Amino acid sequence: MELVKRYIAAVQRELPQAKQQEIGRELKANIMDQIDALTEQKGQLNEDDISTLLVNMGHPRQVAWQFVPPQPLIQTSSMPLYKNTLFMVLGILFLLQTVETTTAWLSSFDMGLIGFLHGLASGFIESACFGFTAITLAFVFTGSTRLDEQASRCNNWQPKDLPKAEPGWQYIDMSDIFTDLATYLFLLLVIWYPLWFIAESQAASSSLLSDNARLILQWASPVIVLGLVNSLWQLRVRIWSKALLIANILLNLTAMLIVLYLANSSPLLGVTPEQWQGVFSHAQVEHSAMVSLFIIALFPAWEVLRDSLRLRKL
Amino acid sequence: MTTAQLDKMRLELRRGVLVLAVLASLKQPHYGYSLRKQLQDGGIDIDEGTLYPLIRRLADQELLDSEWRQAEGRERRYYQLSELGTSLLGQLTDEWQHLNTSLASLLATKTQETP
Repeated sequence: MELVKRYIAAVQRELPQAKQQEIGRELKANIMDQIDALTEQKGQLNEDDISTLLVNMGHPRQVAWQFVPPQPLIQTSSMPLYKNTLFMVLGILFLLQTVETTTAWLSSFDMGLIGFLHGLASGFIESACFGFTAITLAFVFTGSTRLDEQASRCNNWQPKDLPKAEPGWQYIDMSDIFTDLATYLFLLLVIWYPLWFIAESQAASSSLLSDNARLILQWASPVIVLGLVNSLWQLRVRIWSKALLIANILLNLTAMLIVLYLANSSPLLGVTPEQWQGVFSHAQVEHSAMVSLFIIALFPAWEVLRDSLRLRKL
Repeated sequence: MTTAQLDKMRLELRRGVLVLAVLASLKQPHYGYSLRKQLQDGGIDIDEGTLYPLIRRLADQELLDSEWRQAEGRERRYYQLSELGTSLLGQLTDEWQHLNTSLASLLATKTQETP
């Protein structure tokens, strides 16, 4: 009987506390009935017979899971959204940490490459842990609400509400939308750094961009906010329509013009030549930043071209 | 088709029917082991790991009433169809008979058409 006691205790350990006593009691009654039946067939049972009977019952964890199936923390239906949100937020946090650590590295004379990598890794891990926990908790607590919404959406629909079976390009990939969302959020956070960054780091952060560049970017913030709204609109409809394409063209055109204007303004960076001594000259850095901005401008330019061609097909 | 595939399909096929079999068997009160025995005698072999959690689930859904009783020097939990369970069993039985008739007709047609 010692084996039976052990088995029931092992099953109970895998159960929620509220159900341990009740299920343990019932399981014991069922096992004792089986032992009685087996004794009637075979006579006195030894330890091996009982052991075989318990093995046939299944591993205690499996038995416990059959009584109380484990509930996933995140609902399966929410996993794609959860993964995309996680990648987006962790991506933004990594980029922000890169900016912060790079700024600190460039502004410091005694910080070596090892110090830079250590700062980047430790800072990112710290913020990633917070981000991961916050997102997971948000999904856990809003899980049931989202399930209700999905159930309601699945119950109230009409075939005519479905989008037309258009060519493949018309469907907007969720990862593209989240990449755009992440980019816009990252830009907003970098531009408005002084508003939310802690006071002692402000001096260091302000050295990355010049006041002039920061001012231009701050004036460009409404465009970035419109970009965010546009991405959220895409997330809702998930299909390119004429209106959405026109909005995207206008948005990317504006973004391209702002980046080109920024590339032509000088100075771009707030760093002083002394801080860069022994690394690069100030002119070299400014030139590199300008070339980088021209390259960055090619991305919205490409999207303007792509969406214009798509618009003609509709 | 491999044996594993066949086993999986048989399991899926049996899963829904087991509920009906358990509900039908619990018109009379039974405890876990006696229910299993009754099902086995009726030609439905079901392992303990499936049967006992299934009975509890049905009881949680208020389709079964249950009570602990002392019998043969030991306590046992007896289950029996509740009012709700009885009503559901009637509906499920109709559904099963309808399905069975339709399926029998389909299977017969298939057999005749096969050269």
